Amino acid sequence: MHPPERSMHPLKQYWLAEELERDLGDPCNPESVMSFKQVIELDELEAFPEAELTWLYNWKLHHYYIPTNCGGEFTSFEEFIAFVRVMSRRDLTTSISFTTLFWSFLTWMAGTDEQKQELAQFMKDMSGAMCLSYSERAHGSDLLAGDVTATKVPGGYLLNGEKWPINRATISGVTFVLAKTDAEAGSRSLSLFMVKKAELDPATYSNLPKIKTHGIRGSDMSGIRFDDCFIPEKMRLGKEGVGLELALKGFQITRALCAAFSQGAADTALRTTLKFTLGRQLYGKTVFDIPHPRRTLVDAFLDILICDCANIGAGRGFHVVPEQFSVWSAVVKYFVTVTLEKMVQDVSVVLGARYYMREEHDFGIFQKVMRDNAIISVFDGSSIVNLHSLILQRRHLAKFRARRDAQSMEAIATRLQTTFTLDQPVPQFAPERLELFSRGADDVLQGLEIALEQLQALEPPDLEPEVLEQIEALTHAVLAELNAQDDFLGTAAFEHGHDQSPESFELAKKYCTLHAAAACVHMWLHNRKTLGEFFANGRWLALSLRRLLVAVNPALDLPPRLDDEPLAQELLRLYGEDRMFSIVPFQLAKSEVQENPIHAITELQLQAQ
Amino acid sequence: MQLQNSSSKPSDVLVQADLAQENSEAIAIETIQTWIVNQLAKQLSLSAPSIKVEEPLTRYGLDSIDSVTIVGDMEDWLGVDLPSTLLWDYPTIQKAATYLVQEMNIAPGAIASEPETPVQPTKETVGKWSLWGRGK
Ligand SMILES: Cc1cc2nc3c(=O)[nH]c(=O)nc-3n(C[C@H](O)[C@H](O)[C@H](O)COP(=O)(O)OP(=O)(O)OC[C@H]3O[C@@H](n4cnc5c(N)ncnc54)[C@H](O)[C@@H]3O)c2cc1C
Repeated sequence: MHPPERSMHPLKQYWLAEELERDLGDPCNPESVMSFKQVIELDELEAFPEAELTWLYNWKLHHYYIPTNCGGEFTSFEEFIAFVRVMSRRDLTTSISFTTLFWSFLTWMAGTDEQKQELAQFMKDMSGAMCLSYSERAHGSDLLAGDVTATKVPGGYLLNGEKWPINRATISGVTFVLAKTDAEAGSRSLSLFMVKKAELDPATYSNLPKIKTHGIRGSDMSGIRFDDCFIPEKMRLGKEGVGLELALKGFQITRALCAAFSQGAADTALRTTLKFTLGRQLYGKTVFDIPHPRRTLVDAFLDILICDCANIGAGRGFHVVPEQFSVWSAVVKYFVTVTLEKMVQDVSVVLGARYYMREEHDFGIFQKVMRDNAIISVFDGSSIVNLHSLILQRRHLAKFRARRDAQSMEAIATRLQTTFTLDQPVPQFAPERLELFSRGADDVLQGLEIALEQLQALEPPDLEPEVLEQIEALTHAVLAELNAQDDFLGTAAFEHGHDQSPESFELAKKYCTLHAAAACVHMWLHNRKTLGEFFANGRWLALSLRRLLVAVNPALDLPPRLDDEPLAQELLRLYGEDRMFSIVPFQLAKSEVQENPIHAITELQLQAQ
Repeated sequence: MQLQNSSSKPSDVLVQADLAQENSEAIAIETIQTWIVNQLAKQLSLSAPSIKVEEPLTRYGLDSIDSVTIVGDMEDWLGVDLPSTLLWDYPTIQKAATYLVQEMNIAPGAIASEPETPVQPTKETVGKWSLWGRGK
């Protein structure tokens, strides 16, 4: 990284994203790398974004997928999330195709030193890419039912069977294959292999045809087939039989990170729609000045801020409480992707007819964002699969919560402080600390009472009393909802396996929403002094908590909605200054179309404040 | 390890001391088995006698993650940390109980059925934090 510029964000974990922004340039300018015009053209052609990926490799972004102790530059998931947002706001096809590199965390987690070195070299020296071969046509989410086998032979294994549908199955040098090594061994029946295709006999494997998809149309969606394909023993990751365990732990990492794809998409959906509402005149005023569309965009902004708190919290939480990620990751993968999918739908209403057109308004980027974004909640563990894994742990979450004592509360408070204070360093990520099961721990919700104490200790004058009162009352309401859920679980029948009731899924969704609400409160409490005036003021938090509680329980008697005009003004400010819609509004590439009447309008609106 | 034949009779050549140890081991294994059987019977709404200690747990419709959370329950009961994949590696009640006693030297006390989660709607304080009814 180059030395920081004066205008850069005070939090240095956002410098890389800012630098990448600057070098990529304004996506509305057709000349920029990954400009909207270019990525739409590629999408229409269903063409793989080869030049874009090469540009990213030349920029050496792939080094940030390799931990420093393996020879790369990765140090922080918070930084990782920020740069994935930068790519994703331009083009999810490229961002997802590039980010299959995050499967390397399987090796960083479970590989030998030699395997790590080999993979790091492959990535750095050969601009290597990889894919994840878990899914099979006949078995979907049921990994243990897989038919691909790895049969032991002298010196290695013979792979047989087919993996499908796999992103980058064809255009990749390494594939992580989950295969059966002992059909009788239940949860120990699978092993994981890091297969380097260059070392295979080409006659023993083949790629399946490109699958045509609804979104990310240029992706290399295909599959791979093995026929008595010999792989040497050294390609196995970990011991024989640990495949499912590694797969589930690896998912904890990648599922949470997937949320960053949605966050990038959400930024563009909101930005291009806001641009439209500022430029379009109806009935003698701009669409942004009509109350309903204005409210819709403000609510979309709230959704983004809420998801930020959940996901940035999780990004940092990886470094602090990796052992809790069987819970955090499921929550974030479900909540952020589904919330932002809904958010994109909400703002599509404001963009109106143009949302449905493939060339109008910013080159037709909206419809592409909407199609591309729709897959994030599905792949890498669908919403249902994530909620299911949460349901299986839910009873333990309640049990653990009921057992907290002074000592465990003290520990939770300390961990929350590190997790949520953005200007504090986080420990190095220790993937070996990931656990299949958090044993009932979830600091975010289990530290809610700590947050309440901290809220009560806050003093106006630096806060508007009405805002603070609402934050407190709404946080109490979040706690009451959690208590009610825990009480209910204490009396409900135990559910196991795959026959969970639909009602359990509804409860799990609410748990996710409550978790997000608590993350917002922690985020605010720990960063009031560092994230600027808008953040510190807390109005966004009161509005967010209210929004979340309405979703959890529409029958609640909540305080009235605070005036949201300051949010509309902040949205305009971030737009006018080309900053990410985020609790950390880092600098985006400057929009170059200065004579654009829309920018003039924004300027005017800002001046009128 | 003698997991595969843990139900076989003690060898005749064992000396007296070993016999005594074998005996207390057998009691410990029995205790753990009974606890798991009762726990599963309650959770799966089955009668205890219908749960066979030699059957793989997956036979009762448990997901891989269910087996992991049952280990969590066992940790709470025994007050020790266990490998969360215990029931993956030792997939019957008998194998798991034998492993715990013979390899991890776990000697459970009398079987106490687990206390239900206490839920009193009273305001309590733990350390400096009010738990609004959620403290121990
Ligand atoms: C664009 C794209 C990229 C992909 N990339 C990859 C990749 O790189 N590597 C890879 O391995 N796979 C990949 N996949 C596959 C993807 O992860 C699978 O779609 C996923 O595994 C689910 O499988 P399925 O859709 O066949 O659904 P199934 O598993 O067949 O499920 C069907 C339905 O059953 C229900 N269901 C399933 N499980 C449960 C449960 N536990 N509880 C209750 N209901 C349940 C749900 O309603 C679900 O939708 C990709 C898919 C797409 C579309």
